[in-house]
Amino acid sequence: MNLEKVVFGFFIILACTLNFGFVIGDISRPELHHPSELFMAVVVNLIATVLKFGDRTHIGATHLATSLVAMLQLLGASLVWMWHAYIVQQPDLDASSMSVIVSLAAGALLANLVSVILLIGETLRHTR
Amino acid sequence: MGDVLFLALRRLRTPLIALILAYAVSVVGLVAIPGVDAAGNPHQLGFFHAFYVVSYTATTIGFGEIPFAFTDAQRAWVTFSIYLSVTCWAFTLGSVIALAQDQAFRAAFARSRFRNRAERLEEPFFLLLGYGQSNAALAHALDELGFRTVVVETRPERARHIEIEGFQQPPLVLVGDARWPDVLHDAGVCSPHCKAVVVQVGDDEVAQAIAIGVSVLQPGRYTLARVHSEEACTNLDPFPHITVIDPFETFATNLSLALASPAVLWAEEWLTGVPGGACPHALNVPQGHWVVLGYGRFGHSVGHALERTGATWTAVDSDRHAAQDNHLHKDDNSERALVEAGIENAVGIVACTNRDAINLAIVSRARRLKPSLFVAIRQNHVADRALIEAARADMQFVKSDVMVHECLQLLVTPLLNRFLMRVRERGKDCAEQLIVSLLTKLDERVPSVWTFDCDLNHPGLRDALGPDTQPPLSLADLLINPLSPPEKLRAVPLMVLRGREEFVLPEATMQLQAGDQILMAGASGVEALQRRFLLDPSPLGYVRTGIEPARSWLFRWIAARRQASA
Repeated sequence: MNLEKVVFGFFIILACTLNFGFVIGDISRPELHHPSELFMAVVVNLIATVLKFGDRTHIGATHLATSLVAMLQLLGASLVWMWHAYIVQQPDLDASSMSVIVSLAAGALLANLVSVILLIGETLRHTR
Repeated sequence: MGDVLFLALRRLRTPLIALILAYAVSVVGLVAIPGVDAAGNPHQLGFFHAFYVVSYTATTIGFGEIPFAFTDAQRAWVTFSIYLSVTCWAFTLGSVIALAQDQAFRAAFARSRFRNRAERLEEPFFLLLGYGQSNAALAHALDELGFRTVVVETRPERARHIEIEGFQQPPLVLVGDARWPDVLHDAGVCSPHCKAVVVQVGDDEVAQAIAIGVSVLQPGRYTLARVHSEEACTNLDPFPHITVIDPFETFATNLSLALASPAVLWAEEWLTGVPGGACPHALNVPQGHWVVLGYGRFGHSVGHALERTGATWTAVDSDRHAAQDNHLHKDDNSERALVEAGIENAVGIVACTNRDAINLAIVSRARRLKPSLFVAIRQNHVADRALIEAARADMQFVKSDVMVHECLQLLVTPLLNRFLMRVRERGKDCAEQLIVSLLTKLDERVPSVWTFDCDLNHPGLRDALGPDTQPPLSLADLLINPLSPPEKLRAVPLMVLRGREEFVLPEATMQLQAGDQILMAGASGVEALQRRFLLDPSPLGYVRTGIEPARSWLFRWIAARRQASA
């Protein structure tokens, strides 16, 4: 068993599952989407991105690209949240801004899914 | 550059992950720990505020406790996160600095930067392989002429030296071994802008390997290679685009030329110097017996050259193991040995050992015996120039000077080389005629030499070179100053090349045809003036008729009407 592969797979799948956990639920209801889940998704995605640095193969480059897309979407979602919660100063997030946040995160989920598919594909190719 | 960036990020993976985790833990802690607002009501820190607090705490900026004063529990957590995050930052910065000092990384970075800059070169350049004394002198000469250079050198200290030398356009430098094809490729040997490659390295084996590598990678790339042995010359012979220069042989040829026809050598030296430099002195080499001191490779070349001109000579060498030779007198360099070699009845000596101090000692010893001797001396090291000049020898052999002369001739104006060959063939009279016209029309400086193309593609010449233009375009028209016509340009036409036919030192009345190439020598700046003839037809018309021709359609029409009515 290769520890590096375990760590790599762990972070990629965790990034995907956290993202999924945040997105699931009615898109416009703020009480179904907790900020700490988004925060954890951002952190784990960051780590997954850094882990993908430096792989010069083609599949490595695609891996990195999916992570960069996911990061972009998640950071977008966080910034929108920050904007509505602190700068516009609404007492509660309304349905429309919540749906913007969740749909951005849902895009990130798609990128993370691609990443997981790549991981599975790579593993299956490794037949002995 | 992309490669280097990813290499750096890969090496920094651990510190970056540590940093992300430290931030994440600190933020989560701040969000989780309950706080109170100004009125004492419970208040939870949001992710945004928590991230803000951690950001300025981790970088030790410290803006205070926002949005409300912290509780003791929060302060305890912030204390913990300060130590955690500052440690992680120190680790990250330490790794970055270690990476920047890593030799392998710096080499990769320098290589990648060089490759990018070489690829982006959009102007003609010369590729110099090796940066010894000769190529350094050549790089400066090419820089003076306004050409870009790219240098590949194996010794890092030599390569670094380029940065502190004064160049108008500093060469691009790569530290690497030009025997490797990837190094040659990165240096732009296959680039369409690479005009020629000059190989000047200390070792003949290496020079051969590089020259052959260049012609295999890019067949047809014009290559000059400096070698010192006949074997190397033979090895490079089958490659049509490699020109071999042996500096010893070149100097020996010059010496024999100086003995046989000094005017030819003088004219050659004059035209091939660095433009703007002082005019060389005419040599007056006496005929008679010669003593060659030092019988190595250089001594051999000099001896053979003397032999060819019919002079008698004796070589003296202190090396006991040297091969036996009729001319060789194995002895030390003492006065007795010089006398035995016949210095009393000699007309000149050539000091050609490979050590400057010994050459100087020999020269002063020989002069003590016979002050009227003609002295030729070899300078080995560029730093000894002042010493050798103080000896006031009649002729000096400096390898780098010889190489610069030869290379400039072959690279910058290939037509000049052809012209000089013709002058050499025709001998004394032709050379004297050349010298007279250079002295009367120019000044006592090394002139710029350029080629003027009478090509129909140049819009300025299309009409003038037409078949029914009266009077036909003559050489004299091109020698008039296009800005103020009665004045002459300070230029001398050296040769007109028409197809394979060569007209050496043509008359000013010579009529030109389309396709002629004219080799010109002239003062600096004249070339630019003459190029005005190429760009549009008005200067040439003005020069030939004295009337500024109308350019726009309306004024041309008016002029035609006027002519018709007149």
